[in-house]
Amino acid sequence: MRAIMIKVLAKRATVIAALLALAFQAAGGQSAKPTAAGPADDATKSNPSAVEKTLKAAAEAVGLARWSGVGGQHLPEVDVINTMEVWGSGTTYGPGQSNKTGEPWTAYKTEYHAALCYNPPAMRVEMTRTSSGPPAQGSAAPQHTIEVVRDKYAWDESEIGAGLVPGKGTATPAMAAVNNRLLQLWILPYGVIKAALAAGDKTKISTEKGATVITFPLSGQLADLMVKATLDAQNEISKVETRTDNPALTEMLTETEYSDYADHGEIATDVKSPGHIVRKQGGHPVLDIQVKMVDANNPYLVFPVPENVKKTAAH
Amino acid sequence: MTRHFRFSGTIVAAALLCVLPAAAFAQNNGGPRMDHENTLPPTPVGPTPRTADGHPDLTGLWNGLADNLLGVPNQMHNVGIEVGTDTARDIHSGAQIATWPLQSRTRQNNEQNERAATLLRRMGSNRPIYKPQYWQRVKDFDANSNEEDPSNNCMPAGVPRMGVPSYITQTPTYLIFIYPGQGGLIATATSYRMIPTDGRKHTNLEDLDGTWNGEAIGHWEGDTMVVDTIGFNSTSWFDQLGGYFHSENMHVIERLHRDGNTLTWTATVEDPDVLLEPWTTTPRVALLNPDPKAVLLESLPCSERDFAHVVTKEHH
Repeated sequence: MRAIMIKVLAKRATVIAALLALAFQAAGGQSAKPTAAGPADDATKSNPSAVEKTLKAAAEAVGLARWSGVGGQHLPEVDVINTMEVWGSGTTYGPGQSNKTGEPWTAYKTEYHAALCYNPPAMRVEMTRTSSGPPAQGSAAPQHTIEVVRDKYAWDESEIGAGLVPGKGTATPAMAAVNNRLLQLWILPYGVIKAALAAGDKTKISTEKGATVITFPLSGQLADLMVKATLDAQNEISKVETRTDNPALTEMLTETEYSDYADHGEIATDVKSPGHIVRKQGGHPVLDIQVKMVDANNPYLVFPVPENVKKTAAH
Repeated sequence: MTRHFRFSGTIVAAALLCVLPAAAFAQNNGGPRMDHENTLPPTPVGPTPRTADGHPDLTGLWNGLADNLLGVPNQMHNVGIEVGTDTARDIHSGAQIATWPLQSRTRQNNEQNERAATLLRRMGSNRPIYKPQYWQRVKDFDANSNEEDPSNNCMPAGVPRMGVPSYITQTPTYLIFIYPGQGGLIATATSYRMIPTDGRKHTNLEDLDGTWNGEAIGHWEGDTMVVDTIGFNSTSWFDQLGGYFHSENMHVIERLHRDGNTLTWTATVEDPDVLLEPWTTTPRVALLNPDPKAVLLESLPCSERDFAHVVTKEHH
């Protein structure tokens, strides 16, 4: 009987909390203004507590904000995600490679493997792509690429860790790709939460079509980009849009949709990752990946910069 | 019939066993109580005593942010994560880490606690940089550490994984370091080292039989005791977490510096066979037990585990 009473009271408390939350959001509507990532149809809030609560909910939804009772009973929750590895397969699309104007870009069956790190910011994306269209659309030979970025350096590897020891592959500098590769790191759900927290009072919360939206500017080399992230009902990031503040470059809108969140690890971590990732750039689909496995247990992933890449960057 | 069991409950119980000896140590000996509200190192207090030859006296019972006996806060500090009341940073990179107030935490069960502990212990950026041909091996060892960790099953942890010695005796010509064994899941054996400081040179590496603790020789560099060790086997891992294997060519340089009632320890690992560059641990700061009557308690017995029946790869 007592258990039933507690359940009823808990339900009532939830309803009251939801109503209060709605009232709270509506109260902020008077100061609504369009954001750089698109107009909001409801309040855009600068209220620190609303921003903090939203980001905390998003962080806890994916298992980023954590504490442990194993001797750490009196420590605050901290952001525990640093390194992660993701394996998936699906389709990627070659930008600008369609045969006719207006047709979708060339599709490739793709095996996808990403190793990523937030401290320092780094990412290694390994893809094996096979043309999935008729032979006329391109060679059927698989293309294997390894694209790496760390801080201000970007390079392509002929094999994992190439260019670090003699006789172990070559590392080709790709400095022009730094920003695009860093962007891939920061628009992942964890990157969005970390970057929104780092943006401080520049981060705003609003609602669009009933969904919570987080808007904030990126910083450093990506400082001209605004991010707009939409949360689903479970506070998981379901969509991320980025666009530049420069009106002349609006076609560079990048949209990424995340769904099917779960702990995809062989070793359980309670870190949730999207099981399906779909990305478009300038309205064109560029990536559609089903995630097969994630190692979110802060695995050993390192990204030393090859000397020849450092030298190229110095020039 | 083969008996299978869920291991996570065992892990929690074993982890508690790891914590208990340290807690008992502090209570029974009037030793320092560690502040679990943060992972900040203790602040030095008092003068640094010196021996007749003028060197700082390292003698004493050292306890504190040294090894993994005191659970997650120590382990986080050991990997370079400094957590205050409402701030956190990575000591190695200086990066700020987001925190949320203690009061706002959600309740969680033992499995959630244990999984979070695993992430917290492993989030630091101070990682040794292996040659790329060994990256996968480190990952595999790490992912399968329940079975692969060489210090499980009551083997020595080795140098430098043992960290700060719990007891030091200093004479003009040698030091003695004692490392109590850890009961519970992290089941390492009690270990000691006798370290000459009489100016002798190392034996040729080719003439040494590799061991867990190697051949150590100490010398003073100003007020810092430098312990230089070679002659290892390739069995041990050189840090508590991470699957960090090494070759027989490993060379370890430990530095111990006393400041008042604190002892700061670091170790630099050189192993050109497997590492791209030398790696240095995050400094660990131990606090002197202020009770002159304090003694080292007997270690809990080490008990081997039946890892063939572990049904999860979750870490401990």
